[in-house]
Amino acid sequence: MRQSDGAGVTFRRAWWVWLLCSLLLLPATARADNRSCLSCHEGMEGMFATRAGEHLDLHVDGDQFAASVHGDLDCTTCHLRFADDPPDPPDADIDEEILTLSKQIARKSPVDPIAQAACIQCHEEVYETFRASVHGANIFAKQEVDGPLCVDCHGSPHRITPRGAPPPGGLPPSSVVYENVVTTCGRCHEQKRVSLKYGFSTEIIARYNESFHGKKYHLGGQNLPVCTTCHGAHDVRSQHDPAARVYDANRVVLCGQCHAGANERFVAAITHKPLGKDNPVPYYAEKGLILLTFSVITACVLHVLLDLYALIRTALQARRRTEQR
Amino acid sequence: MSPDNVDQTVELAPEGEVERINLTFRIQHIIMLTSFLLLFFTGWALKFHEVEGSHRWIQLWGGPKVAGIVHRTAGITMLIDSLFHLCYLGYRASRGKLRWDLIPDWQDIRDLCQNFRYFLGLSPDKPRFRRFSYLQKFDYWAVFWGIFIIGISGLALTLPTKAALLFPAWTSNWIWELIYIMHSDEALLAIVFILFWHFYNEHLRPDVFPMNWIWLTGKMSVEELQERHPREFERLFPGAKATAAATVAGPVVAAAEAEGIAAPDAAPETTAPEGDASDR
Repeated sequence: MRQSDGAGVTFRRAWWVWLLCSLLLLPATARADNRSCLSCHEGMEGMFATRAGEHLDLHVDGDQFAASVHGDLDCTTCHLRFADDPPDPPDADIDEEILTLSKQIARKSPVDPIAQAACIQCHEEVYETFRASVHGANIFAKQEVDGPLCVDCHGSPHRITPRGAPPPGGLPPSSVVYENVVTTCGRCHEQKRVSLKYGFSTEIIARYNESFHGKKYHLGGQNLPVCTTCHGAHDVRSQHDPAARVYDANRVVLCGQCHAGANERFVAAITHKPLGKDNPVPYYAEKGLILLTFSVITACVLHVLLDLYALIRTALQARRRTEQR
Repeated sequence: MSPDNVDQTVELAPEGEVERINLTFRIQHIIMLTSFLLLFFTGWALKFHEVEGSHRWIQLWGGPKVAGIVHRTAGITMLIDSLFHLCYLGYRASRGKLRWDLIPDWQDIRDLCQNFRYFLGLSPDKPRFRRFSYLQKFDYWAVFWGIFIIGISGLALTLPTKAALLFPAWTSNWIWELIYIMHSDEALLAIVFILFWHFYNEHLRPDVFPMNWIWLTGKMSVEELQERHPREFERLFPGAKATAAATVAGPVVAAAEAEGIAAPDAAPETTAPEGDASDR
């Protein structure tokens, strides 16, 4: 009993020290209004299961959030349903537009869709562009869950880094910077299920990586075309959409931005299609060259080995002869 | 050897050398091997970009942009070297100095079969090679074919918008894939071929290790010629066996020079500059 009393006292002391430190440190790292949210959410680790079966990460790193471009915002700027005091029921007055938007994206973004709809408060132009894109149309018009919403590409809004600068202290590099954009697009576009469902090449990312653009990009080249350079980002359109930059008739202009004098036969070079039997000339040419390479190398190795065998045999015979003498 | 030894069966060992690769061909070979190595070093990391280390290797060259410039410069140098080689052969042919004996014939097949019999111990005799063995011919023509395939495709990849003007429209669905495959796969073949074949025959083989110096000197001793190219030796020194004892270095080479064969500027006809037909 005494021991457990002792432990209880220690715990209580530690708790007070923790509270004191939090109160002293928090103003330096986050806005005062966010303190009450962060005092719990900073300590939350692991995934939480909702009643609807969604798993969500409720952890927010106050330092990272303060360093991010959104560091000056209140939690409730985006998490509109929640009042500043957590015990209050989440039924604050919400703007009609955001409410409508949140219902449209509820299937795609089941966890707090209002917060993801709230991006439009500041990023209205981008949001509208995005809604008109092939990704946006898939979510808003077709009510699919495959297309990306804001956070699917940009990552958590709590960690978004300033554009064109190295990430400030403690923040991971952005998932949409030049170095990461191919990986980010690949998260969906490398999935066979997505490719088959929407009828595009199953090896888009692999074929890009094998192209001269992709190879130089992966070897550390700068200013090379990545996915978004040709396809656009928020305004990405289907290749069958005449308004798309990668639409057949528009590709001479698109490629011509870097390759002066590009013509229709030149722009045919980039397809992202796998090398298959549907395109027999390169397919069988590659098979033929592989066969040629293997047979030439096999013949050479065989010849070299036999030559060595004969050399060694001759040398041994010569030695035996001198020993016999 | 002195006239006293006339009756003894001495091995013919004339001192002196014959020139097999003249200076022009040696320079062609040096340009070829330098550009080959540069192309290999910069191109390999591009082909295997996903391998860890490629990134660091390319940074060593100053990044992909500089590596690309090095690669294209070396490629164009190699093409100019090859064109010069062809022009030089044409020039020599017009002067009647080209022997056309680098062209493969049935005797090469017979030599190959004989060599395999020798390798397997079925025959005690090595094939008796002429001026160029089938190994050297293979070396030369492999490079010839490689430069043609890789050079054409490389030129198209260097100037893609210009190349696109030349392609007929009906090829555009596959021509780029084909060009890329030609360049990449054929280059791999060329590199592995050089590493196995050329390096073994001209560097690692015990009788030439660490290398066959002919790429610098252009000359081969008459003794070595007799050993490796007996039929060429007999052609150059037809009276050699008969006058064995009387043969000393000076007269033999002088005789050969008089014949207009082994003299430096009249020397080896179609010796390859591509870094391959140096002598084994």
